[in-house]
Amino acid sequence: METGIRLALTLGQIGAVMVAVLLTVALLTLLERKVLGWMQDRMGPMEVGPYGVLQPVADGLKLFFKEDIIPAGANKFMFSMAPILSLVPALIGFAVIPFGPDWTVDVGGVDFKPFVITDINIGVLYILAFASIGAYGIILGGWSSNSKYSLLGGLRSAAQLISYELNVGLSIVGVLLLSSSLSLVTITSAQAGGFWNWYVFGGGAFPQVIAFVVFIISSVAETNRTPFDLPEAESELVAGFFTEYSGMRFAFFFLAEYGNMILVSCVSTVLFFGGWHAPLEILQGPESLHWLTGMFWFTFKVYGFLFLFFWLRATLPRLRYDQLMRFGWKVLLPIALGNIVITSIWAYIFP
Amino acid sequence: MNLKEWIKTLTFYEILLGMKATLSHLLKYKPITLQYPHEKKPLPSNYRGMLALLRYDDGTEKCVGCDLCEAACPSRVIRVVSAEVPEEPAKRYSKEYYMDMTRCLFCGLCVKACPVDALGMTQEFEWAVYDKRQLHLNKQQLLAIGDRNFPVREKRLEFQHPNVAYFNVGFKDIPQKEA
Repeated sequence: METGIRLALTLGQIGAVMVAVLLTVALLTLLERKVLGWMQDRMGPMEVGPYGVLQPVADGLKLFFKEDIIPAGANKFMFSMAPILSLVPALIGFAVIPFGPDWTVDVGGVDFKPFVITDINIGVLYILAFASIGAYGIILGGWSSNSKYSLLGGLRSAAQLISYELNVGLSIVGVLLLSSSLSLVTITSAQAGGFWNWYVFGGGAFPQVIAFVVFIISSVAETNRTPFDLPEAESELVAGFFTEYSGMRFAFFFLAEYGNMILVSCVSTVLFFGGWHAPLEILQGPESLHWLTGMFWFTFKVYGFLFLFFWLRATLPRLRYDQLMRFGWKVLLPIALGNIVITSIWAYIFP
Repeated sequence: MNLKEWIKTLTFYEILLGMKATLSHLLKYKPITLQYPHEKKPLPSNYRGMLALLRYDDGTEKCVGCDLCEAACPSRVIRVVSAEVPEEPAKRYSKEYYMDMTRCLFCGLCVKACPVDALGMTQEFEWAVYDKRQLHLNKQQLLAIGDRNFPVREKRLEFQHPNVAYFNVGFKDIPQKEA
């Protein structure tokens, strides 16, 4: 009985989060084209529905009914596995993200946390580990397509993800030192009580703003977005690792890219910007309304980061490959390491 | 690098400058897009669009079948089959008139060459078709294009004998009628 309730609750929660994420992805595809258009003095999609608001529906239907081509000479098993291997890690990371206050509700004798699917004590590590697995999907997709463009895109992406994952991991370490926990719920609750307590502003300890900048740059590279979109550079590699993909398999890669974008936005919100906490205690409202204001502030911050992604894409040109590597290894890595050293010393002197 | 450049690099000065530029375009949103099929740009009056055959105001064809347009065309678009008007041996007309618009480069030399102003260039340009053969136009189609684009037709000049092809040399050289 208890197991049944727990299972039903968790499945419901997973379903709700999945629906929310996929709806956000659908919204993002439209939003990105609109924002990009507005920034470039264009209109974006205007034909489907009023002001093009039904464009995601049309895109989805098109992808669903498109012919699914497997290129000649492709490794069929790997070719089919690659989109799944890249989509699953992108979605699975949301399991540890706290979307609202850390409440525990008693449902039929089962302790139930309504705003986080599972609060495991290695949450950050879990997300990093699955982000690394996502790279396999990209590399295998590039390799199994039996196409030179795909292979080059996959290879580029392999090198890029390895270089920049290091920086993501190292820039997080400062936050982990300050919160002395890997659980995202604990990290969020450590940042309560006003924006000066957010880790990006320090809250008495060394401000993690440098780590935050390193993290944001590296996560743009991790999600293969401009200016680090070398694995799918349109003007050089057609579409990079998913050149040969069409139909639903392509849609999976697409969902994975946008899912990853949302995931890194959520992670940077939780780690550096206080998760669901409002910038001021007054804006959080009464205790009973924390679930509403919490969800609002979380969504607000996440969309702020997503807007930043669009904004960067509208502004910056693509880096050359050697620039990408030099920037990752010779600039970001020493900065991230230095941040760890300074944060530790600061935390030791002013405990 | 001197100190100023270091500070600029560390604060992402140049990137922020670029981002300010893009944001200002977002806030002062003035699209230059023309929603083409719904709204169209006004064409200049001398726009060289689809070719058409013209008629006089009494509905007779202007074309006298002289073949000069065929001779003038650099792309060999036009093919004219000239014939005598039955029972009027002095008068000729184009029995068949073909234009292969797939080859036309819209230079307007045929219009310039025509001695009776029987050819005109319309403002039509939306002639995308699924079958290339639909662009191989015959006389009826060309006349229809002319009819729908030039509703105001030129008068057949009164001093012109119906049996004589009138070769025009520009309006200023036409002998003016007394009022």
